[in-house]
Amino acid sequence: MDPITFSIIRHRLFRVIDEAVITLKHVSGSAITNEGHDLMVSLYRADGSLLMGGVGFLHHLTSAAEACKAIIRRFKGQINEGDVYLLNDPYTAALHTSDIYLVAPIHHEGKLVAWSACFVHVYDIGAMNPGGFSPESQDIFTEGISSPGLKLVDRGELRQDVLDTLLNMVRSPEMVTLDIRSMIACNNVAKDRMLALIRKYGYATVDEACAVLIEQSEKLLRSRLAELPDGQWQSRQYMDVKGETAKVCLTMTKKGDRLIFDFSGSSPQSKYALNCTKWASLGGLFAPLFPLLCYDITWNEGVIRPITMIAPEGSIVNCTRPAPVSVATVGAIQSVNNAACATIGKMLAASEKYRTEATAVWHANHFAIFMFGTNQRGGLSIGILTETFAGAGGARTFADGVDVGGEIPNPISRMANVETMESTFPLRYLFRRRLPDSGGPGQFRGGLGMEIALTPHDAPDGGLHYVVSGKGAKYSMSEGLGGGYPGAPNRYVWVHNNEVADQRNIDPSFALSLEEMPGRTEDISWGVFPLMGKDALYVAWNGGGGFGDPLERDPEQVRIDVDGRFVTREAARKVYGVVTDAKGIVDLAATKALRQEMRFARMERRAAE
Amino acid sequence: MNRPIAANLEIRTTKDGDRIACRACGHPLAPAGDAWKRHAVLRELSMNGAGGKAYTGAQEALLRQFACPGCGVLLDSEMALPGEPFLDDIVRA
Ligand SMILES: [Zn+2]
Repeated sequence: MDPITFSIIRHRLFRVIDEAVITLKHVSGSAITNEGHDLMVSLYRADGSLLMGGVGFLHHLTSAAEACKAIIRRFKGQINEGDVYLLNDPYTAALHTSDIYLVAPIHHEGKLVAWSACFVHVYDIGAMNPGGFSPESQDIFTEGISSPGLKLVDRGELRQDVLDTLLNMVRSPEMVTLDIRSMIACNNVAKDRMLALIRKYGYATVDEACAVLIEQSEKLLRSRLAELPDGQWQSRQYMDVKGETAKVCLTMTKKGDRLIFDFSGSSPQSKYALNCTKWASLGGLFAPLFPLLCYDITWNEGVIRPITMIAPEGSIVNCTRPAPVSVATVGAIQSVNNAACATIGKMLAASEKYRTEATAVWHANHFAIFMFGTNQRGGLSIGILTETFAGAGGARTFADGVDVGGEIPNPISRMANVETMESTFPLRYLFRRRLPDSGGPGQFRGGLGMEIALTPHDAPDGGLHYVVSGKGAKYSMSEGLGGGYPGAPNRYVWVHNNEVADQRNIDPSFALSLEEMPGRTEDISWGVFPLMGKDALYVAWNGGGGFGDPLERDPEQVRIDVDGRFVTREAARKVYGVVTDAKGIVDLAATKALRQEMRFARMERRAAE
Repeated sequence: MNRPIAANLEIRTTKDGDRIACRACGHPLAPAGDAWKRHAVLRELSMNGAGGKAYTGAQEALLRQFACPGCGVLLDSEMALPGEPFLDDIVRA
């Protein structure tokens, strides 16, 4: 096909998605969509296979393909022009019930030619805990509405009875209806722009370009894989729920132009909601694969073909109904994503050509805290602390990880301003800043995570409540690369301040650190907790993994890290072996001697076998 | 020709065939294509405090450090609970 026309059509497909994303953000009213960019829009072929993966949470690209296919199977013979379908059942295709898919067929002259699909994390889904993440759920039945597929819009007419039924089962229906309408609008824009493209170039030409695009992606990925060394790389992720440890194990094997991700050895499914279904695992491993191996290849069905996943049934990465999965996106899915990022990073680092594309693991543990309660205006506020999206970058083979750099599976995620959060919730931030020492040490260190502290402010009920889930605080999860340390783990602290404040008249409002806060501290990590009175919530989150030996780091760079409060003076000496004088100037001779001593100490240990 | 396969590891052609070796000092660890970690020097320390004061996690979580027996450079690190097998990374071709 004419390469110019092909290129124009390819770029127009990108723009179709861009415009649809803008629509989604403009119509939706929730911070998680507008501010956090917890969203996704993609285009699919008539058979439901991925045509053009969009930005947003990349875990959804393959799952939404399965959602299209499930709708095609269920509604065979009844799929009409102007229809929009809703699907959010994790055992059919979705990641968890909160992430609703709205998928819409695109017809041209009466013929089904493509699908558009999008998701947002809806304001509420009627699960036992507000906001969707339900650490207290014991099965899928307590995780809210769960549809394996229903027709929400029939030939252009909204089925009000269906929508009203859904809205009748959620908290804050006025916000949920906005979420759903934003997705309808998004699909409408995708359809309009897609049809404009077809009108301009003709169906046959656009269809050919789409087919060529998929073939091209497959060819490009296969030749990239062929250039990489054959081998096997392993990764392991620990998760902690209420003292129980679960793990995700991955062996990635690369042979010729194929990649196999084998999750054998992972824990049996948990009674807690951090499990994920097989569609979710597939999405989890593709989320880092798209940007790390296909940064210059269009993300579509062609990229999926060379990849095989093995996920044992009944395990934490392929749980069986009715296991609870509401925390999956920040539970097992994120660990699958981390493990795949780690093994792909190791494979890239083993290639001379591609070693600069390798990375240690980024932001590996969302804290995903949902606040809920009566706001300063007397209404109900439910929503995530969008700082959960403010992850840390993993170190590269040539540079440090980006401090608070975001995360790999969502290239457009971000956090809201403090002021936005304080106007949404009756809260006040005591501080929000980078957390020293949180980046994994290495020749190049991981990016830093952050720490925040919150206290109630102007709350009609004296405060509010929050849901904390995720994967716990016991284990580091941002794996390092080539000897680099993993990033620091998360930490959640409830500061009980009421009694102390009353007796000693100490107010936490001006505390500048956790240590300065009055009151008894309690480490927490899973469940629903109050934030009332003068209590405070302190959250610290993980840094990125490091790369290489910390004793190989340029001592001057360590000094800069200490001066900038990226690394503490203690860690500079103990971990990096850098000695500074009273003025903070590096003592090069003493540093060299200390580092040599530290290397000798390593060698004195027994052999590994 | 020496071919780097990780930060401090390379495949080095020797008279005994291709060997995985330390990039810093050339110390051979294992035949190319083999798991090499059991030929390194292992040090295990608690992850708690390992990277500085932000490392507040479980005492029982270990940071395994695999160092070169020839020069002490760090070849790889992994996090593990006691008794876990090594993560074996094998580069073939
Ligand atoms: Zn050596």
